[in-house]
Amino acid sequence: MLHRVLIANRGEIAMRVMRACREMGISPVAVYSDADAGAPHVAAADAAVRIGPAPPRESYLNAQAILDAARTTGADAIHPGYGFLSERPTFAQACEDAGIIFIGPPATAIAQMGSKIGARTLMQQAGVPVVPGVTPPDQGDAALISAAVDIGFPVLLKPSAGGGGIGMKVVRDETMLAGAISQARREALAAFGDGTLYVERLVERPRHVEIQVFADRHGGCVHLCERECSAQRRHQKVIEESPSPVLTPAVRARMGAAAVAAAKAVGYVNAGTVEFLLEGHGDDARFYFLEMNTRLQVEHPVTEVVTGVDLVRAQLHVAAGGRLPWTQDDISQRGHAIECRIYAEDPARGFLPQAGPLLLYREPAGPGIRIDSGVVEGREIPVHYDPMIAKLIVSGDTREAARQRALAALRRYPILGVRTNIPFLITLLEHEAFVAGTIDTGFLDREVESMRAALDQPAPGPAWAAAAAAGAVGEPVIPGAPHRAADAVRIAADPFVSLGAWRLP
Amino acid sequence: MTTWQLTLGDHSRIATVDEHGQVSIGDAAWRVVPGPTAGTWLVDDGTRQHLVAVATQGTTRWVAVDGHVSVFEVDTPRPGRKKAVRDEAMMAPMPATVSKLHVTVGAAVAAGDVLLVLEAMKMELPVRAGRDGTVRAVHCRVGELVQPGVPLIEIA
Repeated sequence: MLHRVLIANRGEIAMRVMRACREMGISPVAVYSDADAGAPHVAAADAAVRIGPAPPRESYLNAQAILDAARTTGADAIHPGYGFLSERPTFAQACEDAGIIFIGPPATAIAQMGSKIGARTLMQQAGVPVVPGVTPPDQGDAALISAAVDIGFPVLLKPSAGGGGIGMKVVRDETMLAGAISQARREALAAFGDGTLYVERLVERPRHVEIQVFADRHGGCVHLCERECSAQRRHQKVIEESPSPVLTPAVRARMGAAAVAAAKAVGYVNAGTVEFLLEGHGDDARFYFLEMNTRLQVEHPVTEVVTGVDLVRAQLHVAAGGRLPWTQDDISQRGHAIECRIYAEDPARGFLPQAGPLLLYREPAGPGIRIDSGVVEGREIPVHYDPMIAKLIVSGDTREAARQRALAALRRYPILGVRTNIPFLITLLEHEAFVAGTIDTGFLDREVESMRAALDQPAPGPAWAAAAAAGAVGEPVIPGAPHRAADAVRIAADPFVSLGAWRLP
Repeated sequence: MTTWQLTLGDHSRIATVDEHGQVSIGDAAWRVVPGPTAGTWLVDDGTRQHLVAVATQGTTRWVAVDGHVSVFEVDTPRPGRKKAVRDEAMMAPMPATVSKLHVTVGAAVAAGDVLLVLEAMKMELPVRAGRDGTVRAVHCRVGELVQPGVPLIEIA
């Protein structure tokens, strides 16, 4: 049994983990950078420790500061969330060495799956199908170019140490290769401190289908069915759903078995995701191992909604030495779930990330609507971190019911002060290809320009009317208005909102 | 009765609001009453009512209705006012850190040249010259955190 868990993360995922801790009677501890003093995840914890200045390298990636925080607060375990330190084997090892439980797989499993070359070889040995590709031992431009030519275009350049689409480059012919290599290397170095690149054959028009797996320390290992994540823009997932609109029961069973084999091949423990590329249709569809994410995924709620399990609760239980709470036969999908990632970005201006004050932020609520968020009205969206501010997860008896519920919820989800991708999500959910369930991983990058027309709709009349009626700053025109127009700005400037929470000595 | 000038992109309209919440813009009219929570309004267009969220930041007014967000500039009407001419100052589109600076004062640049590279939220954002010209001033340095709307480089 765990007593105190430090969550080495911020935003919605820190909130999500703390919620599970509270339900299980575990005391949650937050860490925060200067940019996050007073943030919702700080307020949700029993104790909060400042770990450094705003830049991630000096705070949320500062392993020493986080381990020190765990020691001073008496935490017996650390949950890394996703991103930041979650897939660093050195951090998992450092936790173990310090006598603190790392809530995740063993460092060896992270390292084995973190190396794209090693993972691929291991998967081949375990009988899991893979896509043609290579990490040249000589990482010079000439060797990388020759490797790409050998594999054949189009190729994909990926940081060997990375994930989440950062630093990935698609190259369609040799002339573009040199520039793409130096840019990918630079971004890999900046994001992961390692510029090693992997060169892979790009499978055209594949679907991204991933399997949630879960293993305990007693040899138990199950899969919790799939998530379809083909709606991606520049390798960044936008909408995820389960079940996949195309997976047949036979392919699901084969893919699930391959995912379990992948996990067992590295001695996996706790929650993980095996990502596959899916090509073709029906029972003959082929799939290839893409990578394993050795952590909880952003889109884990989709699985929770359709299978009825609580993955974070299971993570805490298994980390404490418990057995898997379910057998494979206990797991099945019921109904349909769709997750929409809410990003602070401007779809009308090239999806430029946005930072600034959340002047107004109101979440929708109702049957079948779940919001995992880490922001509150009146606070700033800081410039230093990922622009994802919340996730809307909806469920329905059918895919169509879930889609309609997602649309209705997004239309009652006003976020003002920073631009968000909500108009884009609405456009995507209404697109005939999404309705038909035919989206492949390249769809958004191909169609984003044609979808722009739908985004550029003129402001509706009621928007003009409300803009006028709200009056001048501090002077509402309409008597009896329950607010001043400048309220939101005042909230942002209110020291009791923006000042940090209590701090431990 | 109060009158406002609302500007949205290239469109500018005069709106009048009376003490009963009757809003008129040209021939169109709506009745607007406060909504159930702070910052919300109910707008009736004669056919149905719409729940609208509004937030104000200086003279900027953010409005959300049915997932559609508009950002208005609100002002008292000034007849005959001319639109401001855009200058040739390259600005940051968002708060960001300057990661590279490719030009110095006096450099000749062509439209589309990358003048500097910003880094924000794990992304590189190149800032390009808006037209041909000569760099007249550089207002930033590498490593500096810059804010939107502040000129970084001026081209003469």
